[in-house]
Amino acid sequence: MSAELANMPLVHLLALGSGYLLVLFLFALAVERGWIGRGLTRHPAVYTLALGVYASAWAIYGSLELTASSGYGYLAYYLGVAGAFLLAPVLLVPIQRMTRTYQLASLADLFAFRFRSRWVGTLITVVSLLAVLPLLALQVQTLGDSIHLLTGSTSPGRWALAFCALSALFAMLFGARHSRLHARHDTLLAVIAFESVVKLGAMLMLGAVALFGVFDGSADLQAWLDGPGQLHQAAISQPDAAHWRTLLLLFFAAALLMPHMFHITFAETLSRRTLLQASWTLPLFLLLMAIPVPLILWAAQAQGHDQAVASAYLAFVLADTPWVGALAFLAGLAAASGTMIIISLALSGMILNHVLLVAHPPEAQPNLYRWLRWLRRALIAAVILGGWLFYRLIGVHHDLTTLGLTAFVGMAQCLPGLLALLYWPGANRKGMVSGLTVGTLVWLAGLWLPLLTGLPALVIVPPGLEGLAGEPTWYVVALVSLAANSLTLILVSLATPTSVGERAAAEACSVDAVIRPKRLPLLAATGADFKRHLARALGDKVAEREVERALTDLGLSPLDGRPYALRRLRDRIQANLSGLMGPSVAQDIVDRYLPYRHGGEEATDDIHFVESRLEAYRSRLTGLARELDGLRRYHRRILARLPVGLCTLGVDDELLMWNDALAELSGIDGTSVVGARRDGLPAPWGELLGRLLAEPGDHLYKQPVELDGTTRYLTLHRAELPADDDLRGGTVILIEDHSELKWLEDELVHAARLASIGQLAAGVAHEIGNPITGISSLAQNLRYDTDDPQLLESAEQIQQLTDRVSRIVSSLVGFAHGGRHVSGSRFTPVAIASVTEEALHLIRLARSGEDVRYRNFCPPDLEVIGDAQRLQQVMINLLSNARDASEPDGAVSIAAERDGDMVLVSVTDEGHGLDAHVRDHLFEPFTTTKPPGEGTGLGLPLVYSIIAEHHGRIEIDSPPPGQARGTRISLWLPTEREDGDTTDEPDSDR
Amino acid sequence: MYVYRIMLLLVFGGYLLSPLLMSGWSSPGVAWYRPFVIWGVLIALTLWLEQKRKLDER
Repeated sequence: MSAELANMPLVHLLALGSGYLLVLFLFALAVERGWIGRGLTRHPAVYTLALGVYASAWAIYGSLELTASSGYGYLAYYLGVAGAFLLAPVLLVPIQRMTRTYQLASLADLFAFRFRSRWVGTLITVVSLLAVLPLLALQVQTLGDSIHLLTGSTSPGRWALAFCALSALFAMLFGARHSRLHARHDTLLAVIAFESVVKLGAMLMLGAVALFGVFDGSADLQAWLDGPGQLHQAAISQPDAAHWRTLLLLFFAAALLMPHMFHITFAETLSRRTLLQASWTLPLFLLLMAIPVPLILWAAQAQGHDQAVASAYLAFVLADTPWVGALAFLAGLAAASGTMIIISLALSGMILNHVLLVAHPPEAQPNLYRWLRWLRRALIAAVILGGWLFYRLIGVHHDLTTLGLTAFVGMAQCLPGLLALLYWPGANRKGMVSGLTVGTLVWLAGLWLPLLTGLPALVIVPPGLEGLAGEPTWYVVALVSLAANSLTLILVSLATPTSVGERAAAEACSVDAVIRPKRLPLLAATGADFKRHLARALGDKVAEREVERALTDLGLSPLDGRPYALRRLRDRIQANLSGLMGPSVAQDIVDRYLPYRHGGEEATDDIHFVESRLEAYRSRLTGLARELDGLRRYHRRILARLPVGLCTLGVDDELLMWNDALAELSGIDGTSVVGARRDGLPAPWGELLGRLLAEPGDHLYKQPVELDGTTRYLTLHRAELPADDDLRGGTVILIEDHSELKWLEDELVHAARLASIGQLAAGVAHEIGNPITGISSLAQNLRYDTDDPQLLESAEQIQQLTDRVSRIVSSLVGFAHGGRHVSGSRFTPVAIASVTEEALHLIRLARSGEDVRYRNFCPPDLEVIGDAQRLQQVMINLLSNARDASEPDGAVSIAAERDGDMVLVSVTDEGHGLDAHVRDHLFEPFTTTKPPGEGTGLGLPLVYSIIAEHHGRIEIDSPPPGQARGTRISLWLPTEREDGDTTDEPDSDR
Repeated sequence: MYVYRIMLLLVFGGYLLSPLLMSGWSSPGVAWYRPFVIWGVLIALTLWLEQKRKLDER
């Protein structure tokens, strides 16, 4: 490197770099404080630009170096990642779904979750750390080299360290604010996007300088390329097809596996839509980043500056003005700092969760969140310092391509495992670990250790592949390590057994797999139990916050004791803890402190959960699966919309379905009870269903059940669903509401009773009436036949007693004719006021109750449709009852008012009122509150039948609302004639 | 899903055939921007497929 380029004072360059980082701080502060609108910071373009973190210092300097040696071969760096994002729907979206569902924030989390081992997470972390160190060193080296080239500084490493420290400080301040890794850091994303804008802008400007400043536009450049440029082009060795494909594969893998890419793509919780959008926006960004690269090279070559500096830094010699160098430096600084920040954040999380927390689990830390935050901050500093130390250790003798390729080949060792994780449920832990170990060892021996130690590469070429002997080291190592890795993974997985837990996790991870969780009861019975159990591991405060958080996420109540809800709560807590401490520690804590109850009963599939997952996956189903899902939905809808109550219970008595009709009948929403145990259902359902299940027969008829304060009569039918190998067992129960049928039956019995009593009364009246008339005539004759006062008194008494018997008989005759209109006349408009006035007149003629005050408030113009005579009979009955119930000086009031298309007539007294028992039977014949001999108990049944004949209704309030005592009889009578209201037509049963 | 298959085909086809394309890029007389134009066309194709997928899943 030549010092003659030192065309910029060190102070200026440091001021430029520090100034840029200061702007970055201010920008971050502006986002943090909300000075920049969320509409802008949450725009999908911000995500695309944040993904531009992939374009590290390699994209600025390394690409130039690669273009100088391999021509368009440099495009592999961009096209590899573009290919990975093109496959977003089949590759990235399934990973995003998994990372989001199980709160997996890093590649190590994903592997530890899938292969059910904390050591797998540790192994992935170690491999990632080893692979990323050369990449970090590359960032630092470009900084050091730039400082040295531009300023001639003899201690560029020290200044590079200063920039590293500032980047670390930035990551600690804005990236490690949350103890939870799996959270969207708006500030961080916005800052990385800002850095991408800076590096893209700088690169485009450098490209413009090359194209329009050095060349005179595109045509001039083309002319140079076809002319003098030919010489330079001839010196380039284009990568052959195999090299090119391997490079593409390495960069493809980097897009998925590099910790910083994984972090931005999956750990920052972004929408699926945004991720899919990135399938074309990220390649567009990379295209714009890639275009200036060859332009800069050709411009430098055209000016003959290509020998002045190493090809990676040709941008510095593009023009003589210092601002071009400053622009190139800024582009490099933006790229390097962004990469270092995100790598340090991602790796610190991995080391924390898979090395530190695995070695020292957090046993009831007093302030767990704070403790985790500070650990992460320390690790961020350590990772960046590690990158700087690696740079110092390996020296500056390596070109950027070697450093970069070492990192990318190392990281690609996780590719076979990742593909197996997604597409091969048969892969197991032993296979993955063996494959990764073999591949990593080949890589370490062939690329990493030689880089660090300067020793010659130990490249193992397996027999049969001797043709690879003359190929570049990176190519041979990449090919051999990946082949050995994949083969070992496949062979060991096939040769060794897979654990049950791993198989379940494999199903959860497989693309298009439907998770089939099992129903197992938990020891904890409520949310409060969860807090108590977890407090032993996490401390009271953290346990409370984590349980509350999970309950809020799921929208559950802390009192919800449904086994289904508790299982979901457990899963959620595990996922949330996984975001905090990684899946291994989270699983340990949950398994230990929230264990399942092992009562010997066989676990069955959690059908309800499977269904809810299927609902969410609908858009992912295709072909036959989609058709079957359509059928499933159709059948489910039939059951849900069945107009009869339906519920199903699993073999473990857990409620699996509660359809709409049953929800309406019971007033209990299905979502609040599905997943509950039968005995945990709200009253009276648990007991009622239990009674049916205990019944030897399959039916329970007209069971009285208190619902909403009224008694309803339910009929229940049961059918057993026998379980076999393919079908799940259980019980299906149909619940019909037969209340109306029961009421109709009761009504019918009542009517039949009334009819038979009426017939009896008519017969009795007829049989008694004749002798009584005779007795009465004889008694009258006796008064004319004698003057004996004693006999006359006896005759008088006989007369009185026969009158009384005649009244009773006439009542009986009246009742017998009740409900049967004998006059044959049609109903006519009747003024209520005149009916009540006449009834009052007749009542006042009676000798008893003269001291009762009657008040008639009926408006004179209010009319009903009816028979005046019979309505008068009704009023006389009601008024005489009111009079008899009243105390001396008591008041009886009659009122009438319009109530819709009816007239409400009420008779209110202030008497002794009615007992509840009597009130319920008042309309039954022979029910009376009067002393024996004074009432027949036929008055109100007669009133009832007359009112029913008028299509009216009658109600009794005792005491009436707003009164301490007394009784109010309310009658509703129609004001309009109903169609076919011709009561003169004889009834068929008359 | 049909769109996904087109994407899979596109990516793997591109992966296998890209060396053939690349060999011609550095030949004299070939416009320097040709690789970028091809790349631009690929991006436009992806954008089109993305729109199609949105319609497909609506």
